Parts: sequence; structure tokens; C-alpha cells
Amino acid sequence: MTERRITFTREQIAAYAEASGDHNPIHLDDEFARSAGLPGVIAHGMLQMGIAATVAAEAAGGPDHLRRLFVRFAGMVEPGDTVTFRAEPNGPNKLGLSALNQRGEAVLTKAVAEYDGHPLPSGERDQGRGA
Amino acid sequence: MAAIAGRTYPAVKIEIDSGRVAEFARAIGSDPADGVPPTYAAVYSLGLTAPHLFGDEDAAVDFARLLHAEQEFEWERQPEVGETVVSRGRVASDVSRRGMRFVTFETDTTDEKGATLCRSRALFVIRQEVRPARAPARS
Repeated sequence: MTERRITFTREQIAAYAEASGDHNPIHLDDEFARSAGLPGVIAHGMLQMGIAATVAAEAAGGPDHLRRLFVRFAGMVEPGDTVTFRAEPNGPNKLGLSALNQRGEAVLTKAVAEYDGHPLPSGERDQGRGA
Repeated sequence: MAAIAGRTYPAVKIEIDSGRVAEFARAIGSDPADGVPPTYAAVYSLGLTAPHLFGDEDAAVDFARLLHAEQEFEWERQPEVGETVVSRGRVASDVSRRGMRFVTFETDTTDEKGATLCRSRALFVIRQEVRPARAPARS
């Protein structure tokens, strides 16, 4: 299992807006976000997917091996939320991905990755290293 | 509101710029030395073509009511820094039910030789305006 735990910050969300070119004010401007019915600014779904993809790429043996990624954006991520992203083997060349916040709620659902090549599942790699 | 299923938008070219790739990698907590992050497709694919949809007056997509509900990318290969790719967007479906509008927006990205590199499928959900019985009073 490959895992990464991230506490989201306004700075990271702003950096993602800049780097991605997605300047939708719901990610940057609390007042606008509230006018749109949100509690305040929220992280881009694509930022969450980007982190999930990084974890998936690591489990797949590198980003060049990824062939498909799918996510459903199921929950909002606000600054201060801590999300644990995981990738676990789920059949041949398939990974199941999860992203749970500090309350255990899924912020991404139905998330899967497919990859080419046949790297060892991370569990076996870890055992190999420990031996 | 007009349903715009089947609409296609013009092709847009972009160079996979090393500086921007590194900035993107850092923003998602990835190591820029690992090459182009897979979801950099948010820039060269979806990000390049979605403005066509959002700027289409016939599409009438209200940004403040828009939710990105699902995203899928499929890659034939990952792009390389320095290459130029071409992305074309189209509205695969546009259906409304129960006060929600569901727009599936697809983008095909090819390399300079025309070979497919990436396919993106985004599902946008737009909460439709509930018309008040009367216009709200303005102060």
C-alpha cells in the first residue's frame, strides 16, 4: 500500500490555482465561495486528483506507467483538512484509490487507476526490503 | 436553456513547458524530477478546452453553480517536456433532470503527428436556477 497524508492550506490551493490556471474564485475568495453556498474556499478537485495520481504513479512504478485514472469528487476539502490518499492493488494492473479526511469521510470515491507493466505490488516490495 | 450535446470546439495547441510543469509538480507535492505529472493533463487537455465551454454563450454555464463531479483521463503515453500537443473539446452529452444539468465534456489530445496522447472526460453538474415567483426586492 502506498500512502500520503496531506494537510491542505490556502497557500497550496493558491499555488495550484496559479500552476493549473484554474482561477475559479470558489478556491481563492471566501466571500465569493460563501455566495456560491460553500462554507468558504475549497480545494480544487483536480488538486486532490493530482495528489491521488502521484500516489498511484508511485504504486504503479512511475508516472509513465499510468494508463487510466478515474475519480468522483464526493466531498469538499477545506483549508486545514487532512486527507489520507492511498493506492492499493486491486486486480492485475489495477489500483484502488482512496482519499479520506480526518473524520474518515471519503472525499474521492470510485477512484481507480490502471497501469501497464508488472511492477511488484508495494506490499511485496516492502517485504523484500525488510528481508 | 439549450442543450448543446454534440458541440465541438476548435483545436488548441500548447507546448509542454518545463517551468510550468515544475511549478505544477511542486503545487501537488510531487517531485519535478519525476517528469510530467499525469494530471498535468488538467493543463494541456481539460484546462485548454474547458474555457471554450465556459465561454460559450449557448452553453450558458454559470460558474458559481458549477461542480466538477467526475474526471477520467486515459493516456496512450505521457507527454514529454518540450513537445507541442493539440487538444480539442466536445460536449458528449448534456441532460437536465430534477433541477440539475449534467454536462459530459470530452477532450482529445494528440501529439504533433496526430497520434492520440490523452483522452479526458469531465462530468460537470450545474445546479439550475430556481426561479423565484417574484423578483427579489432590491434595496
